[in-house]
Amino acid sequence: MLLLLLSLQVGAQELKLNGFADSYHAVRSSGDNDFMSSRSRLRTELSLTKGNSYLFASLNSVHNNILNDETKIELREAFLQYTANNWDIKIGRQIIIWGVTDAMRITDQISPMDYTEFLARDYDDIRVPVNAARIKLVKRKYTWEFVLVPVPEFFIIPVSSDNPWSAFYNATQKIVLDEQTKPKTTLKNTELGCRFSFFLSGIDFSFSALHSWNKMPIFKQQYSPERDTIFLSPLHKRMEMFGCDFSAPISEFVIRGEMASFINELQEDRSRKNSVHYLLGADWYPGNDWTATIQYSHKHINGLSLNKRSTSTKIKGLQAAAIPGILADNVNYSNGDLDDSTSAPKNIHSNSKLMTFGITKKLIRSLLLLSTFTYYDLNNHGLFNRNYADYSISDQIHLIAGYDWFEASEGMFATYKHNSEYWIKAKFCF
Amino acid sequence: MIHFKYYIVVLLSMFFLSKLDAQDISGRTIMQQVKDRPDGNTRYSEMTMKLINKRGRERVRKVKSYSMDIGVDKKTIMFFDYPGDVKGTGFLTWDYDQIGKDDDKWLYLPAMKKTRRISGASAKKDYFMGTDFTYDDMGSRNVDEDEHKLLREETIDGHNCWVVESTSKDSRDIYSKKISWIRKDCLVAVKVEYYDKLDKLHRKLILSEINKINGFWMAQKLHMENVQTMHQTTLLIEHPKFNIDLAENSLTVAKLEKGTI
Repeated sequence: MLLLLLSLQVGAQELKLNGFADSYHAVRSSGDNDFMSSRSRLRTELSLTKGNSYLFASLNSVHNNILNDETKIELREAFLQYTANNWDIKIGRQIIIWGVTDAMRITDQISPMDYTEFLARDYDDIRVPVNAARIKLVKRKYTWEFVLVPVPEFFIIPVSSDNPWSAFYNATQKIVLDEQTKPKTTLKNTELGCRFSFFLSGIDFSFSALHSWNKMPIFKQQYSPERDTIFLSPLHKRMEMFGCDFSAPISEFVIRGEMASFINELQEDRSRKNSVHYLLGADWYPGNDWTATIQYSHKHINGLSLNKRSTSTKIKGLQAAAIPGILADNVNYSNGDLDDSTSAPKNIHSNSKLMTFGITKKLIRSLLLLSTFTYYDLNNHGLFNRNYADYSISDQIHLIAGYDWFEASEGMFATYKHNSEYWIKAKFCF
Repeated sequence: MIHFKYYIVVLLSMFFLSKLDAQDISGRTIMQQVKDRPDGNTRYSEMTMKLINKRGRERVRKVKSYSMDIGVDKKTIMFFDYPGDVKGTGFLTWDYDQIGKDDDKWLYLPAMKKTRRISGASAKKDYFMGTDFTYDDMGSRNVDEDEHKLLREETIDGHNCWVVESTSKDSRDIYSKKISWIRKDCLVAVKVEYYDKLDKLHRKLILSEINKINGFWMAQKLHMENVQTMHQTTLLIEHPKFNIDLAENSLTVAKLEKGTI
C-alpha cells in the first residue's frame, strides 16, 4: 500500500500512482427492501511520463456482494500516448467519447455501455473501454481525429436472474447468453472513424463519420429442447454513422446540438434501415454555483410504420426489457416469437422522444454538491430520476447519499419500475 | 547666497513636480500601467490554494497554469493536481480584452472523458474551486470596464502607493467598486478592497512576497478574505517562469484533454 502512495521522480521520468477506493450499497425502497447493489472497489491508476511519451494504466479490483461474477480484477484502461507539437497518438485500451450531449449517445458510438446495473452507476463506470489507436492532428483552431478499433466492443447486457438489473427480470426459464454470433476477431471487422472539430471564438462544431456496428445487440432467442432454457444470441451488423454537433455560449447559456444519421442500422425485426437521431440542449449558468440543463432528443427510423407499441411485452413467459434508446440509440430487444426471424417489431417506435433535466448546486464553498437528473420518456411517460448529495468531509473523503426513482407503466423504464432505491457511497481518493 | 537660492529653486521644483505628479496622473492611467506591466508573453506557475473557513479548518487545492498573450487577449490553461477527486480536471480560457465580449471557456472532466463548453458570463459570479477568488479575479480585465479615480497617495510598509477607486460599469459584477493600493515603484497592487452592491466591504485582498523574477515583478502570495463570511484563501504562486517556450497549439482543447502541455 505504501508503494501505491508513492510518487517517484527519476530524472526526466515521472511515475505517479493515484486512484481511489469506494464502497457503494443500495436497497430497494419498496417491498422487502432487499439489496440492489453492494460492492467495494479499489481503483489504482499508474502513469509514467518520459519526454513526449505518456503511459497510463488503471486497474479495478472489485468485490461484489450480490453478483459473484462481478468480483474481479480487471484492467480498465492501458495505453501509450506520444505527443508531438502538432499531433498526438494514443494506442491501447481507452475510453473514446464523442459529441456534446449529457448522458446520451448520438455520435458517441465507439465506447459502448455496460448495463450491469443499468444507469444506476457513475457515468465513468458505465462506459466500456475499447482497444484502439487514435491519432489527432492538432491545429490552433481545429483538430482532425482518426480512430481505428481492430476488435469492436459491444454493450454488456445483464441477463442473470441474480441481478436485480437483469434485462429479463421475471423469466421463468434459465437465460443463457450465447455469444458465438458476435463478430469474429478479424481485420475485416475493424471499426474506423474520423472526427473534424473546430474550436472557435463563440462556437465549437464538429463533423464525424464512423464505419461501425450496432453496438446494442438485437437478440435472437431459442429454446432448449427441454424448453427450460432460453439461449440468447446477440446479433450485430455493420452500419455507417455520419454526424455533426455544435456548442455555443450565449450569455449565461450554452446551446448544444448533435445529429447523426445511421445507414443500414439493424432493427428489431432484423431488417436494416436508415435512421436519424438528433438532440438539442441548453445549459444555464446563472452564477452562484447553480447549473441547469435541459435536452430533447428524437430518433426517427425510416420505414417503420408502427407508432405505438408496448416496449415490454410478455411472450411465452419471457418478459424482455427494452433498454433505453437513451444510451443505446434504439430499442433492440426482440420479444417476438422465438426463432421467428421474420416477426414484426413489437417494441419499437419509429419516432422515439426523450427529454432530460438536470440541476446542480454547490454549497459551503463546493463542499456539498446537490444534484438531480431526470430522463423522461415522452413516448410512454416514464421516468428515471437520480438525486444525490455529495459531501466532501476532507480533501480525500466524500460521502454520498442518493435516491433513484423509477416511474413507468410501460416503455424503457417499466422494466425497472420496482427498482427505485436508496443508496450510499463512500469514496477515498489518494 | 547663490547656494541658498539654488536650494530654494530645487525645493520648489520638487514640491511643484510632486504636486503635478499626484494631480496629473489619472486613476485610469495608473490602472492601465498596472495592466501593461511587463510579464512576458508566456508564463507558467504552480498555484497552491489554502481555503480556510471561519473555524480555521484548511483545505488545499493545487493547480498548474500556463498562459500566453495573443495580442491584447490571453489564453490560459490550468490543470488541477490536488485533491484526488479533481485531479486531471482541466480548464481552458480565452480571455478577451474587448469590452462586452464574454470569455470562451472549456472544462474537461476526466471522469466523463469529455470537454464541456461553459458560459463565460458566469465567471463574474462563480468562485474558482471553492476559493474566495472568482473566475473573473483569476483572469485579466479591460481597464475601461471600470471607472477609475485616483483618491490619494499612501505609504504602506515603506512603499509609496497610489490609492485608486475603480467603480464597475457592468451590473453583472459581484462588486460595486474596488479600492486598490498600487506600489509606485513596481506597479504591483499590495492591497485591494472589494465592496458589494450595498457598498459594504465584501472581500479584502493582501498581496505580499513581491519579488522581481526573471526581470518581472510579481506578488507570490495573495491572501483573500471574505469579511462577510470570514472565509479566507491564501494563494501561493510557486516556480513561476516567464517567456517559456510555449506554442499556441499548446493551449487547445486537445491539450486540455491530454492533461498536460
